[in-house]
Amino acid sequence: MTSGIVFDIKEFTVHDGPGIRSTVFLKGCPLTCMWCHNPEGQSIQPQVIRSLVGERVAGREYSAKELASLLNEQAAILRTNDGGITFSGGEPLFQAEFVAEVIDYLDDLHVLLDTCGYGTQQDFLLLLARSNLIFFDLKLIDGEAHRHYTGCDNGQILHNLQLLSGSGKPFIIRVPLVPGVTDTDENLAAIAKKVEKLPGLIEVDLLPYNRAAGSKYRYAGMEFMPEYDEERPLNINTIIFEQAGLKVKSL
Amino acid sequence: MNERLVLLKRRMRAGGHWALRLAQPIDLLGECENEGLSWPRRVARLVRRQCEAERVVIEPEEKIVFTRTVPGVPPVYSPEDWSGLTAGRTLHELGPVSTICADWGLLLSQGLLGRREVAVATRTRLLDDPRVVEFLDCAIETIDAVLELATRYAKQAGVLGRDDLAAILESVPAHPAHTFREALQSLRFCQAVVWLGGNYQVCLGRFDQYMWPFLHSDLEAGLLTIPEAEELLAEFFIALNKDSDLYPGIQPGDNGQTVTLGGIKSDGSLAVNELTRMVLRVSRDLELIDPKINLRISAQTDLELLCLASELTRKGLGFPQYSNDEVVIPGLVAHGYELEDARDYVVAACWEFIIPGRGMEVVNIGAVSFPAAVDQAIRVGLAEGMEFDGVLNRTAENIRAQVSQLVEVYSRLLLPPAPYYSVFMRGCLEQGHDLSEGLKYNNLGIHGAGSANAADALAAVKQFVFDEHSLSAGELLAALQANFNGSETLRRKLAEDGPKVGCNDDQVDALLGSLFDSFATACEDYGRTPRGGIIRPGTGSAMYYIWLASGHEGMREPVVEATAEGRVSGEPFSANLAPSPGVRVRGPISTLQSFSRIDYLRICNGGPITMELSDSVFRDPESIRKVAMLVRIFAQLGCQQLQLNSLNLETLLDAKAHPEKHKNLIVRVWGWSGYFCELSPEYQDHIIARSLYQVE
Repeated sequence: MTSGIVFDIKEFTVHDGPGIRSTVFLKGCPLTCMWCHNPEGQSIQPQVIRSLVGERVAGREYSAKELASLLNEQAAILRTNDGGITFSGGEPLFQAEFVAEVIDYLDDLHVLLDTCGYGTQQDFLLLLARSNLIFFDLKLIDGEAHRHYTGCDNGQILHNLQLLSGSGKPFIIRVPLVPGVTDTDENLAAIAKKVEKLPGLIEVDLLPYNRAAGSKYRYAGMEFMPEYDEERPLNINTIIFEQAGLKVKSL
Repeated sequence: MNERLVLLKRRMRAGGHWALRLAQPIDLLGECENEGLSWPRRVARLVRRQCEAERVVIEPEEKIVFTRTVPGVPPVYSPEDWSGLTAGRTLHELGPVSTICADWGLLLSQGLLGRREVAVATRTRLLDDPRVVEFLDCAIETIDAVLELATRYAKQAGVLGRDDLAAILESVPAHPAHTFREALQSLRFCQAVVWLGGNYQVCLGRFDQYMWPFLHSDLEAGLLTIPEAEELLAEFFIALNKDSDLYPGIQPGDNGQTVTLGGIKSDGSLAVNELTRMVLRVSRDLELIDPKINLRISAQTDLELLCLASELTRKGLGFPQYSNDEVVIPGLVAHGYELEDARDYVVAACWEFIIPGRGMEVVNIGAVSFPAAVDQAIRVGLAEGMEFDGVLNRTAENIRAQVSQLVEVYSRLLLPPAPYYSVFMRGCLEQGHDLSEGLKYNNLGIHGAGSANAADALAAVKQFVFDEHSLSAGELLAALQANFNGSETLRRKLAEDGPKVGCNDDQVDALLGSLFDSFATACEDYGRTPRGGIIRPGTGSAMYYIWLASGHEGMREPVVEATAEGRVSGEPFSANLAPSPGVRVRGPISTLQSFSRIDYLRICNGGPITMELSDSVFRDPESIRKVAMLVRIFAQLGCQQLQLNSLNLETLLDAKAHPEKHKNLIVRVWGWSGYFCELSPEYQDHIIARSLYQVE
């Protein structure tokens, strides 16, 4: 029996996949994206959040069975309403064995894996096999820039993307648009080129940057230090994707 | 909305028509006294004089007319005589009958002349009974007064060269309506006169049922197009908002002008029609407080209809309110309502389920204070060394005592006669009696306030004192006595670590269920009231969630100090069915699951589960569809009534100033959602600024 750390379980997450869903936020992420909006998801350790409404601890340990039975309390409701469970984070791949075991205990529920794609091939395949739909983030195609802004190389991410497209599973590419960083025509064109012929791709979702990204840092006792200009107007260039024959949405 | 409607709405909102009002209410006390009129005759005279005092107002663009110009409702007794008349008796609220619903179909199908003929026939048949004769004479006097008012409107329309309008006013409300426009005009006159006579919280009932035949035949005959019908409907709704400032209520807007849409018909077939959808669309586009929309649904209701309703919710008006036919109807039947009547239920001013034309029920005689019942039981029980079952038993006894007290007061209930309102009730003219003497259903309703706080308090005591033994009875009692001064650690343990309603937690939800079971048992054991009715227990709280915590002049219930769920003295209790204020719950689905534990077969007076959603949840058609699914889940889980609110700018500003009241407020930020109160102030401002743009 494995256990894992979860920093939130939210019900009725209307923007996290089809139908009525609950989203499990796994704590701990290999990436440290400069624009991360869930800073309490980065470290796997429980953390005290001090906000205007008092303190609470983000991060609680669950056994796989315990978490699954909590989620199964609403299985019938989620199933009859075209929904299921979304695993997000943090990064689910960071606790892949735990997540896999939770999924195995789930009562026949649609599973959506919301991942940054960074993890070992073994971990990725472990969760891929158990997921019905994948939200796969692509941030920067240039390796050097990726290392600079996220703290990690993107080689493994792009490798997993190939595994994903070969798996036959449906997936959506999600691109966080960060002003002057990921929203450049050059980067968007590189992303479009990378994904344009991938089987299984449903669409590309652009997630426009919002200046609330840094809001949680203070409460988590962390510092928000963007090296980009938050005020700079976003380049929401959907045409690049349309020209590549891709379905694209700006959320 | 076309330009004409925009103009009408703007003009109504600007209140220019207020200048047309008489400076003073009329005075008819002298003639009532000089002629030595009986009470029913005084009320009839009041209606007549009010109608006579009305000035005719026909605005150039108006198709549905009547603008009230009589400002108030004058007394028909001197203060001394009134005291004598009502000595030793209980008046409900202001006195006049309120919060009931007419059978407006009687008006539309028979016309006032048709109703008059019924009255005349009964008068002839029962000529030997002076009470009957007096009542019918009063009813006829009021009918004639309304007809005379309509005739003056018709003449003025003719003078203005508005021949089409004049023709309509010559036809209705005297005769049965023939067209949708006639039906709306007839209802406008006759409902407004109910207000003029001093009755209030005047419900509009199953509008999409009694109005549909007229709209349907107009559409079939090609007399109206859908857009033309929508325009007439919008104009009728605007008219309903004209006199809101004259309506008595706890807050402006608290006026009970509700419509109830959808559901099933008396024969069990589906009642939804094109007018159901049209009302939702027009209400969504108009964004006015009246009429307040209730939508009857079931787990099988078409998701498209719920999507349309969710678009209305998105406007942040706080309606539609949903009620679940599959729960409400069996509940009413279990309380003695005939199945055909139960299927015809409507929602009264706020939440209560009543039968149009057949109920003279007083659905809100007061509220049981669950927090007071539980708090007293905890304090006495712990002091006397009771087991937890003892505390529960004491709680049930306290609830029983509160129910008895409330009902005793209402055993002396005095309802003033209402001859005009009686014209639209089933059987009054047919049998010659005023509605105040009773109709088919004459029940009383009591609400149960602060239930989530009370259940949380019981659960905390059970867990910490009795199950875990991590807290001694003495320690808890001392902390409660001291309002938790010096016991902040203990208070936080109670407030944060105890089981809470809204989290689908078996322990505390079972206690919630048992509170309502005790309430239902107390009502059932009370039996029949002197009016021959029963006591209906409900789940609303009205203003009691504030009053029970901070007190209010004239309130019979005790103020409750610090409570065992970690609440300090003065903090409000949960409103209606909602988690205790400040509790961080698992989410909306768990909240619905918690409240599905109440046995609604026994708890049938109404009172909604109340939920707030950020308007960012309503961003696109896909997410609006999910809100519709949430409503369907409410029905699937067997809950009874639901009020969904979309948060607007005002709420966000309040959340910024008082974050402790809005811990569960979720806002969409960027590809993700966060708790509003955990965002730092500058980001809150950003979201506030963004919602400012969304208002337009």
